[in-house]
Amino acid sequence: MLLKTVLIRLLTTAVTLFGVAVVVFTLVRVAPGNPIAMMLPPGATEADIENLKALYGFDKSLPQQFIIWLGGVVQGDFGTSITLRQPVDQLVLGRLPATLELSLMALLIAVALGGLTAVIGARKRGTGTEIGVDLVSGAVLSIPDFLWGLVFVLIFGVLWPVLSISGRVDPRIAIDFTTNFYLFEGLVRGRFDVVGSTLGHMLMPAMSLALPLAAMIAQLLKQNLKEVLVQDYTTLARVRGFGETAVILREALRNAALPTLTLVGVQFTFLIGGTVIVERLFAYEGLGNMAIDAVINRDLPLIQGIVLLFAALFIVINLIVDLSYTLLNPRLRHG
Amino acid sequence: MTVATHKTTLDVINLNIALPNGVRILRDVSLSLEPGEVRALVGESGAGKSMIGKSVLGILPPSLRVTEGEIILEGQHLNAMSPSTRRTTVAKTAALIPQDPLTALNPVRKIGPQIVDPLIRIHGWSADKARARALDLLDRVHIRAPERVMNSYPHELSGGMRQRILIAAAFAPSPRLIVADEPTTALDVTVQKQILRLIRELQQETGTAVLFVTHDMGVVAKISQKVTVLFAGKVMEDATTKAVFTDPQHPYTRALIAATPSYADLERPFSPVPASLISDLHQQIAQDDALYKGARR
Repeated sequence: MLLKTVLIRLLTTAVTLFGVAVVVFTLVRVAPGNPIAMMLPPGATEADIENLKALYGFDKSLPQQFIIWLGGVVQGDFGTSITLRQPVDQLVLGRLPATLELSLMALLIAVALGGLTAVIGARKRGTGTEIGVDLVSGAVLSIPDFLWGLVFVLIFGVLWPVLSISGRVDPRIAIDFTTNFYLFEGLVRGRFDVVGSTLGHMLMPAMSLALPLAAMIAQLLKQNLKEVLVQDYTTLARVRGFGETAVILREALRNAALPTLTLVGVQFTFLIGGTVIVERLFAYEGLGNMAIDAVINRDLPLIQGIVLLFAALFIVINLIVDLSYTLLNPRLRHG
Repeated sequence: MTVATHKTTLDVINLNIALPNGVRILRDVSLSLEPGEVRALVGESGAGKSMIGKSVLGILPPSLRVTEGEIILEGQHLNAMSPSTRRTTVAKTAALIPQDPLTALNPVRKIGPQIVDPLIRIHGWSADKARARALDLLDRVHIRAPERVMNSYPHELSGGMRQRILIAAAFAPSPRLIVADEPTTALDVTVQKQILRLIRELQQETGTAVLFVTHDMGVVAKISQKVTVLFAGKVMEDATTKAVFTDPQHPYTRALIAATPSYADLERPFSPVPASLISDLHQQIAQDDALYKGARR
């Protein structure tokens, strides 16, 4: 049973990734603008253009190009970046930790902030506090992440400059880590100078990404909590002497968290999509920032590599959401 | 068990519950329960019978307010207490057997903690004592393999089993009063009988007083010693079960008994409560309400 599930999952993953590969490969080639023109100085001869095209394989037909590229990908060779002249997989995997750390931090903030707000709103349901929670979360939700970025830059970068507005870590700190997970590895190694500097750079972009999601979580979770709080088992818990806060935390929260979890799973992929703009805004050296450069420079192999990695990331996140769903809901564990 | 006191277990005096617009759901309801007594609360849907139990336990819907009256549980005036004192006082003296066993257990928590948690956290028992008590009671409600059931989730058990678990949970802290809110309505007929017998057995063993809410006169005859008949939130008759069945005083009580189908006499025609009687009663109640409002003005 479990083996079958895993096999089906792997198969659908392969199909999805293949589909993504086809679409992105075709799209970047069909779209106007080509990398060769951007690489050559004005006044290059026809022969120069042909030579360069042949060098990158652009002289072959689209299906031929695709098969050559896919053949490489299957063997772990994602090609070479046209602008950066380095293997795509190295470039992309080198940037992935930065984006992962940023997204996870944003998710953590969103869940903590949204969850706390929802619990307070449900605890004070029917009062002015709940109306306040609704108003604030509605307002927060209607402002996009990059605008929050500008708001934070103004507050914590200009008016009260306590956080760094650009980069990932203070360049004066010497970092000789084995991975690019500066935050995690810094914590593990006890290098708190690195941790502090990483956090100082990460907090603003992470908050910008987190706020809209936090507002969404607050609204949905509060609504779900209110629905659960009229269920018979919560009434019975009150009869048994539990106070309202205990009833929310012990009886209601896990039940109410189930629908919220689905939302968080879907929205988390949007959040990662949001890193593209927010990383740019804060000059944060992650995948999103690299993606924008790759698109501007028509760096086709790099675009393909980044998109494939994002697709794989989304699939993994969905898998984790499905698994945690089973963990939270015992009814899904059997059969 | 507890040394018998001469305290009345529950005294409800002139209880009035109203909607925000002033419409009364309960009208000057008074009743009392002696230790070890079972009192049935009967009436049709909407008569307010569940509301009495809910107001004693402090779980009225938020839109309803107790506008007047006293609830005295084991000599303690509940109305005079702060919400948190009231909550713990009620939890330590009373328990609820809910109507629908399918919705009264938390679907994501195992059975064991759902029984044991309140014993530990509210009654201050040790984990071992609470667990032993839970196992003992599950055994007494005829649950085979109680250890396994404690480790199960609600969806793995049948409705009848879940109701027996809820009965065990209600009796576990040795309450002085149990409110049984139509505990057999959601179950099929064969299981209903078992559940009734179980509640009566445990009630007799422990000497717990039971406020038994039901709309079924057949159930009343089986389980209670006293009966309160309600119509539109007003007490129509308050008597011993025997008196109610042999010599009902109020026309509404007589009509209710006549409306109960009898399995012994299937030939007897089905006779619903006459519409004329109901409209008469409503008229009387409207007059009462006018007087009540006048007196309060």
